[in-house]
Amino acid sequence: MKRNLIIVTLAVFVCSTIFLLSSCAKKQVVTEEKEIKAAPKEVAKVEKERLAAKEEEIERAERVKIERLEELESAKKREADAKKAWQERRSAKFEAESVYFDFDKSFIRTEYRPGLKKKAEFLKDNLNIHIRIEGNCDERGTNEYNLALGERRADSAKKFLVSLGSSPDRIEAISYGEERPLALGHNEGSWGQNRRDDFVIIKK
Amino acid sequence: MMKLKSILASKILFNSKQKSISSGPGFFTIRAIFLLIWILVLWIGIIVHADRAESKLYIDITSPSMRRISIAMPDFKYLGKKNEHPDLSSKLAGIISNDFDLSGYFKPLDKDSFIEGPESGVTRDSIHFKDWSVIGAEILLKGGYECIGQRLKVEVRVFDVYSGSQLYGKRALGSVEESRYLMHRLGNDIIFSLTGHPGPFLTRLAFVGTSTGRKEIYISDYDGHNLKQTTSYNTITLSPRWSPLGDRMIYTSFRNSRTVLFMHDVIKGSVAKISDRKGLNIAAAWTPNGKELALTLTISGNPDIYLIDITGKILKKLTRNWGIDVSPAFSPDGKKMAFVSNRSGSPQIYVLNLINNQVERLTFEGNYNTSPAWSKLDRIAFAGSSDGHFDIYTISPDGKDLHRVTQDQGDNEDPCWSPDGRYIAFSSHRTGSKHIFIANANGENQRQVTFFEGDQLSPSWAQHFR
Repeated sequence: MKRNLIIVTLAVFVCSTIFLLSSCAKKQVVTEEKEIKAAPKEVAKVEKERLAAKEEEIERAERVKIERLEELESAKKREADAKKAWQERRSAKFEAESVYFDFDKSFIRTEYRPGLKKKAEFLKDNLNIHIRIEGNCDERGTNEYNLALGERRADSAKKFLVSLGSSPDRIEAISYGEERPLALGHNEGSWGQNRRDDFVIIKK
Repeated sequence: MMKLKSILASKILFNSKQKSISSGPGFFTIRAIFLLIWILVLWIGIIVHADRAESKLYIDITSPSMRRISIAMPDFKYLGKKNEHPDLSSKLAGIISNDFDLSGYFKPLDKDSFIEGPESGVTRDSIHFKDWSVIGAEILLKGGYECIGQRLKVEVRVFDVYSGSQLYGKRALGSVEESRYLMHRLGNDIIFSLTGHPGPFLTRLAFVGTSTGRKEIYISDYDGHNLKQTTSYNTITLSPRWSPLGDRMIYTSFRNSRTVLFMHDVIKGSVAKISDRKGLNIAAAWTPNGKELALTLTISGNPDIYLIDITGKILKKLTRNWGIDVSPAFSPDGKKMAFVSNRSGSPQIYVLNLINNQVERLTFEGNYNTSPAWSKLDRIAFAGSSDGHFDIYTISPDGKDLHRVTQDQGDNEDPCWSPDGRYIAFSSHRTGSKHIFIANANGENQRQVTFFEGDQLSPSWAQHFR
C-alpha cells in the first residue's frame, strides 16, 4: 500500500511536472538558445551605441556652446546696430527737420525752438561732427537780397545753437538765397516750404 | 556843331542817280547842302521846312510817348551778275528790319502788303514811290548786295516816301559770315543820321541762363542772336555786370557752397577771383569810371556795402546799418549810389550821397522794391511789388515822376539800362518761363529778345567794345 502511495505521489509529481513543463519549457529552451547565439554581437552593439551617444553628447555640447557664443555675438551686434541705427535716426532727424521762416523775416519762430534745443543736444552728444546751416528763401524778390536774407536765417539758427552751448567753430552758416527751392510752385504753399534753414552734418 | 555837321555829311549819299555810292565831301552839290541843312534842322528839333511830307520825319526820341514811323524794308536786290548767296536777299533785310522794330522808333510793315514789281531797283529813279505810299509806308529802306566768294558788299538807301527824297545812303564791305555785324553797323548809322543818336544794334547782353540745369552766364547780341555760353562752372552763377567799356564782366559764383566774386576779361578770356571773403561776396556794381566796384560783404556779420578796387582790396565801407544792404547802382556822375535796404522793415530803395554820406529813401509805394538800375539819362529803374507780382518801374532820382513799365504780365524783374539809357531790359515770366525783354526807356515797344530753353534772367547791357 505504501509503495503504491509513493508511486502515485511520484506519478502525480511527474505528471504535474510534465504538465508544467509542457506549458512553457519549449519556449524557454528556444529563448535560451537564441540568447546564447546573440550574446557577442549584442555586446559590441551596446558598446558602439554607448560610444556614439557619448560622441553625440560632446557634439551637442559643442554646438550649444557655439550657439550660445553666436547668440551672444549677435546680441552684441544687434545692440550695436540698434545704437548705430539710433544714431543714424538721430542724425537723419537732425538733417531732416528744417526750420521755417515768415516772409522776409529771419527770426526763429516759437514752434521751432524745441527742435533746435534737440539739435543742440545732438551736437553735445556728438562732439566729433561739424554742421552747416543753409539758409534759403522763396523766389520772391531778387536773388541778391535773398542771398543776404538767407544768410541771416542761417545766422539766426546758429546764434540759437551757440546760445545753448554749441561751439560756433563747429557751425558754418551759409546762404543759397532763392537758388535751392524744395517746392517749385508759385504760391504760398510752395513758398512756405522754401523759406527754411537746412541742417547738414559735415563728417570730419 | 560843325563837327556833327561833317559827321552827318560823310554819312549821306548825295548823288542818288549814281549807282555806286560815294560819301566824300567832293560830291557836295546845292541839293546836298539843302539836304544837310534839313537833317540838321531835324536833329536840333526845330522844323522850319514848309514841306508837310518831310516834317513827318522828325523823330524826337526824347518825347515820353512816340508815334512809331511806318517803314517798308523789301528784300535786298542782288546787284552783281551771278548770285552766289540768294538767301542773303531776305536775310539782310530781316536783320535790319528786326533792328528797326526793336529800336522802337519804327514800325516795319508786313512784307505781304508790298505791291512793288520786280523791275524796281534800289536807286531813286527806279522806285515808284506811289507803290509805297499807297500801303502806308512813310519811309522806304532799299538795299542791294553783291558777293565775290565770301566777300560781301552791301548798300542801303533810305527814302522819304512822300517827297521821294533820299535821306541816307551808304555802302559797307565785309564777309558773308559777318553779315549780321554789317547790317547792325549800317542800322546804327541810319538811326544816327535820323535821330542824332547812335542806334543800339551793336550792343550786347549778358544774362543768367538755366538751359544746362545750372545757372551759367551767357552773352548774346542785343537782339538775342549770336549766343555764347561764357561760364561752365556747373554750380550757381549770378548777377553778371558789364564794365562801362564792355570789355570785362563781374559775376558771383558759388564755390563750395559759398559766394565768390569773379572778374571775367571777355576779350582775353581770363578769369580772376576778386573777393572771396568769409560770408557773402555778392551783387557788385561798377563805378562809372570802371575803376572800382561796390559789393555786399558780410565780414562784419551784417550785409553791408563796401567799395573795393578791381583787385579786390577794400577801400571803404559805404553803408553801416543793422539791416540788409544790397544791390548797389551808381549814378552816371558817380556821386550817388542807389541800393536796397530793409532798414525800414521791408526792402526799399535808398540813395546814398557819396559826397556828404546822407541816405535818403527813394521808394515809398509798394511793400517790396528792389534791383535799382541807374541810367545814363539819370533815371532809376527798379522792380517793385505791391499786389504780389513784381513789375518794372522807373523813377527820377529825386523820387518824383514814378512810371510803371509793366503791368498784368506775370512777374517782371531785374531791370537794366542800355549803355545810352534809351532802352531798358528786364526778365519777364509772361510766357510761362523767364526770358529777356527789351523796351524803350518809357516802357513802350516791349519785345522778347531771348527765346532759349529754360529761363533767361538778370540781364546786363554792354556797349559795343571797339
